[in-house]
Amino acid sequence: MANVGDMVVGYATDENVRSRGASGGLVTAVLAAALEKGLVENVVVMKHINEFEAVPIITDNVEEVLASTGSLHSVPVNLAKYAVGRKVAMPAKPCDVQAVIEQGKREMIDLDNTYIVGLNCGGSMHPITTKKMLVEMYDIDPEDVIGEEIEKGKLIFKTKNGEEKAIAIDELEEAGFGRRESCRFCTLKIPVNADLACGNWGVIGDMAGNATFCQVMNEKGAKLLENAIEAGRIEVQPASDKAIAIRDKVNSVMEDLGSYLEKEIFPEIPDEERMQYYMDQMENCIDCGACKEVCPVCACGEDSKCTMFHSLVDNYKMSMYHLVRFMHLSDSCIACGQCSDVCPSDIPITLLQSRFSIPSQRRRNYQPGMNLDTPPFFEVMLK
Amino acid sequence: MKEMIYQTVCPGCNIGCGLYIRENEEGALTVDFMKSSSANLGKLCRFGMKLPHHYSKATSMVDGKEADIDAAVKAASDKLKGTRNVTMLAVGATTNEEHLGFTKIADALGTVVNTGIGAYEEIPSECHPSISQGIPLDDIENAGRIALFIDPYVQYPLLVRRLLAAKKNGATIVSLTCCDLNLADENVSINPADYKTELGLDSNSIIITDVNPHSDAEQVKNLLNLALVTGSKIMFMKPFVNSTGVHLLGKSAGQIGLHDIMDGINDGSIKTLVTLNSDLLELMPNTADAAETLEKLDDLVVITSIDGPVNEMATIVIATEPLYAKAGSFMNVEGQVLNNSGESTVGIDAMSTLSQNLGGEAFDFQAMHSKMMESVVRKFTAPKYSELECKVMETAAPAENSGNLISVYNPFMWCNQTDDNDFVIVNMNMVDKLGLQKGGMISLTSDAGSVNMRYTVRDIPDGLILTMKKLPVVTGNTTEVKAEAV
Amino acid sequence: MMTDKEWTPKIVAFCCNWCSYGGADTAGMGRFQQPASTRVIRVMCSGRIDPLHVFNAFLEGADAVLVTGCHIGDCHYVNGNEKTEVRYQFLEEMLQQLGLEPDRLHLNWISASEGERFANFIKDVTAKVKELGPSPLKPAGVK
Ligand SMILES: Cc1cc2nc3c(=O)[nH]c(=O)nc-3n(C[C@H](O)[C@H](O)[C@H](O)COP(=O)(O)OP(=O)(O)OC[C@H]3O[C@@H](n4cnc5c(N)ncnc54)[C@H](O)[C@@H]3O)c2cc1C
Ligand code: SF4
Ligand code: FES
Repeated sequence: MANVGDMVVGYATDENVRSRGASGGLVTAVLAAALEKGLVENVVVMKHINEFEAVPIITDNVEEVLASTGSLHSVPVNLAKYAVGRKVAMPAKPCDVQAVIEQGKREMIDLDNTYIVGLNCGGSMHPITTKKMLVEMYDIDPEDVIGEEIEKGKLIFKTKNGEEKAIAIDELEEAGFGRRESCRFCTLKIPVNADLACGNWGVIGDMAGNATFCQVMNEKGAKLLENAIEAGRIEVQPASDKAIAIRDKVNSVMEDLGSYLEKEIFPEIPDEERMQYYMDQMENCIDCGACKEVCPVCACGEDSKCTMFHSLVDNYKMSMYHLVRFMHLSDSCIACGQCSDVCPSDIPITLLQSRFSIPSQRRRNYQPGMNLDTPPFFEVMLK
Repeated sequence: MKEMIYQTVCPGCNIGCGLYIRENEEGALTVDFMKSSSANLGKLCRFGMKLPHHYSKATSMVDGKEADIDAAVKAASDKLKGTRNVTMLAVGATTNEEHLGFTKIADALGTVVNTGIGAYEEIPSECHPSISQGIPLDDIENAGRIALFIDPYVQYPLLVRRLLAAKKNGATIVSLTCCDLNLADENVSINPADYKTELGLDSNSIIITDVNPHSDAEQVKNLLNLALVTGSKIMFMKPFVNSTGVHLLGKSAGQIGLHDIMDGINDGSIKTLVTLNSDLLELMPNTADAAETLEKLDDLVVITSIDGPVNEMATIVIATEPLYAKAGSFMNVEGQVLNNSGESTVGIDAMSTLSQNLGGEAFDFQAMHSKMMESVVRKFTAPKYSELECKVMETAAPAENSGNLISVYNPFMWCNQTDDNDFVIVNMNMVDKLGLQKGGMISLTSDAGSVNMRYTVRDIPDGLILTMKKLPVVTGNTTEVKAEAV
Repeated sequence: MMTDKEWTPKIVAFCCNWCSYGGADTAGMGRFQQPASTRVIRVMCSGRIDPLHVFNAFLEGADAVLVTGCHIGDCHYVNGNEKTEVRYQFLEEMLQQLGLEPDRLHLNWISASEGERFANFIKDVTAKVKELGPSPLKPAGVK
């Protein structure tokens, strides 16, 4: 019997899933059980192409779910867009969860039918940066990598010939590698907004590395966990007080680091220089529209205000498209970094947007994507 | 609910941007970002973002009637059997493997495959490899000085981030394009004869230009010479996804360019034309003129994956599968071989049947793929700049810009695909001189006709008008037009 | 009166049909002197004014934009102006973050009978904007 608030440590009963899983394969097993037992019709998972590439797919095939074990730290996608319109279960990093909930608020998805297995997230990396880092910092041929792991602040790569090499993430970031910028200032590390919050923080003793710490966040989460236990796919035991304390500790260290880096990443720009700053940052925009296409909280569809009132024929000093987006997303941007990732002109569009959205959200004590009690902020205030 | 996901390469130019095409049950396509693709990190330009519109599926036709592909192949075999003097054109808008298959058909017909770039004919063949294959894109980021002869924003947008990175690393960027470029440190206008002394290039420099079917051979030679005398590296961008592949795979001897082909049709020396993913109505500057010329052909056999305008005029259309679904590979401007994940071989198989019917070899995908790997990959496994192997050439002055309306070639223009670009660019002086009204139109009249366009104002040299869209008044790279306010 | 040479800021005033437009009208008919710098755009309700319209005004060359409507409680569509107020907060914060001087954007509630208030409002804004000079968003070629 699983209850809201439970904290357990568990793993997949299937040896294969357990050993291939990021830390015990619990997440995979929960997803597989949800599909198997008809709790959902589909599951969103990452289909591996190689160590640095995976595509989110929607599947109704249990085998495909079982094959999707493992955390891909260098596949920075947001999964929310792939879940639209289905009765589905999905793994989700905290920003994925936020985006799913924002889509729920905009009635693009029915959250009652969307089961979210949250993954703790210390950050993700860009695949090409990772490959360069492997060559320059690890002296490893990217082709030889067969696995990766984050443990005690170190990023570990395993190679074909069975070797492992670990370097501290701080050291990597100092050298210009490591996590994506948006992950550095993120402070939501445990997905308390998901149905289950899973991760390896707090997994101690001989369980370390092959079990997952799982917190039941709500009724749906209880259903997910219970379903997996009943299906015989997982085994769980209550988390010890020590385990809980360690998880809290690591989390608060990470949160503090995020807040600290936020100050570093967003230096104050004096009032009279800001306009020029934004103009300079955006002067190389080629109007591809990728930043909108990829935005996981946007629910506007193809013809929307930012695109319909923007035309290449205008020679405005600032782009109407971007002005509309800066404003429109100020209550819903979750700073997941997807827009910066896809910008062909390498405009740090997430950072620019965050300069508008972070203060706006803080002033209202509002964090998007946390729950359904607070609909899109405009709407709350307009009621 | 079964969705297909194809790993493929953007057909907009030969940078080789990796991407995913997702095809849902109803056949609707969406693009997705392939972040591990080293050429583009998954990033795409305007054209890439609009790819779903580009892949309109072709239908096989015989004499204007829909047919199945076997019937079309049969009809093409009957038409071509025994025909002498067949001209073949493939600009490089499909896979290496299909190109090699097409070459087999040429062998059977005793002819060659033309890749349509006339400038190649006039340049010593030792230079061809350096024109075909450029510099590893990463190396652009470490250049000291970069001379730009193309507008990266419009023509090859995925170069923009490379150039910005180069600037961050200390490079100086000189633009010799007609527009002031935002990212350039210097926007200059220099007489070609003075490039050597004025541009300050050395072995740590890169010249970035392009070569396409309408390029002026003298300009190409001039820039090759510039690279040779200054020791600078040179990168020729090209407009088709497999431009690099087809030039490295093909026989360069005896090739003719698009303009020669059109001249040949006009003077009656070319009667039969076979094309592979090369739509002359889209490729030629003036669609109406091109259509008039193609009318004169006895037979036009079109092998294509796209439902292009030329299909309507063709005697026979052999419709192959969409580019993203094909088994096969492309070679990008760096010389990287990029593979499609698709497994379909409809096009290759049709070409094999055609070749066989014409008394040539039968082949399959695997055979063509191995051939490609042997001939190309052995030479260019890891992309690396190959030093120029030619000598300084005699050159004439490049053709003067004879017109005031300049076509800025870009992926949308090459495919004649609509975009939010139905306007021309003028400068403020022209607005004042012509008395153009805000929100009004400008009328352009040339020998080829007249058109009214919206306009926008940028900082460009006096008297010039730029277009990024193919206009009916255009007759060449530049066109003399009379401009008036409407 | 102003001389030709003196720069006059362009001010775009969005006015609702039922109140502030009347205010502008009264100001015009009355003997209240006001600078000839204002372009009034009439909308049915201030609630119709989208931030997009404000951006557009600035991008087209406005030196200041005024969002006006009925006093709270007087909106002819129940609470249109309350929505305007919420939207305005976001807009104001956004334009401030963007680096646009706060004096270039104003919200004001003006009834149909408050001609003088309208005139004074315009006068104030004009004076402030004159000090600031042309808007940094004004496109080249627009005076
Ligand atoms: C980018 C990333 C960073 C993480 N950082 C931390 C951390 O700092 N601290 C911590 O305690 N836990 C972290 N985790 C979670 C941890 O790695 C395990 O995923 C978790 O403990 C569950 O283990 P498991 O064996 O049950 O997962 P598995 O059974 O192996 O299942 C993993 C699931 O994650 C999905 N997945 C893989 N890559 C991604 C991705 N990039 N985005 C979204 N979904 C993905 C897979 O499709 C699969 O469903 C992170 C996970 C990811 C993906
Ligand atoms: S992704 Fe970059 S280039 Fe494309 S529209 Fe957004 S900011 Fe502009
Ligand atoms: S009618 Fe005047 S504000 Fe609504």
